[in-house]
Amino acid sequence: MDLGLDVKERNGWAVLSVQGEVDVYTAPQFREQLIQLVDQGQRSILVDLEGVEFLDSTGLGVLVGGLKRVRSHDGDLALVCTQRRILKVLEITGLTKVFTIYDSVDAATAGN
Amino acid sequence: MERVVELEIPARPEFVGIARMAVGALAGIRPGLAYERIDDLRIVVSEACTSAIEGMEEGSNLRLRCVDAPKSLEVRIEAPEAAFESAFPKDEDEPDGDSFRISLIRALVDDADLRTTSGFAELCLVMHRDAASDEDDGDLPA
Repeated sequence: MDLGLDVKERNGWAVLSVQGEVDVYTAPQFREQLIQLVDQGQRSILVDLEGVEFLDSTGLGVLVGGLKRVRSHDGDLALVCTQRRILKVLEITGLTKVFTIYDSVDAATAGN
Repeated sequence: MERVVELEIPARPEFVGIARMAVGALAGIRPGLAYERIDDLRIVVSEACTSAIEGMEEGSNLRLRCVDAPKSLEVRIEAPEAAFESAFPKDEDEPDGDSFRISLIRALVDDADLRTTSGFAELCLVMHRDAASDEDDGDLPA
């Protein structure tokens, strides 16, 4: 099971596109990538979840950890997600109130 | 007709995906569970297997027993009792980092029951099938 992670710059955002399944096996790669972005000085991180086929609480923990880390440096981490199955997981755990969630990368980065 | 499918996997993170894929495929054989509910079951199986594996010794195996019946699908996961402590905390007034896991398990299956006996635990996850499936046991035509 592979996890695809791709980082691009867009209007001051570091856009991290995630593809595949995020679970206890693949989450460490995801976590490491977010830590690396913050350590590199990125303060506006956008995680694009449109290519995610599966996300469980381990993946949610990585997202929350990333948010805490970047906020401790006065930054922010937002999400791009329109998939019902992923939004449902975020809603059940109350995380739709914690993260800013955009419909697209364009919508998120347009006003930065 | 009730059918039992048993799966035993090494208690390692890379095998959790195989467990949820197998259970998801089994759930779809018989009608009565919509795709979205099968997806919910896959998430809960992933949560339960992750909890179990985190509490099991290296080199051990994780057993899943699936009881596929016309009206329900049960997935029973066996592990040492301590393995499920994080998913089913005894003191719910003190939520910790595993609260996402218990929220998902409780929200996404129709019933989740933890049975413990002398240090051993069986987590039983139940999904009820739609009434329309009562007359169709999902057997393939001859």
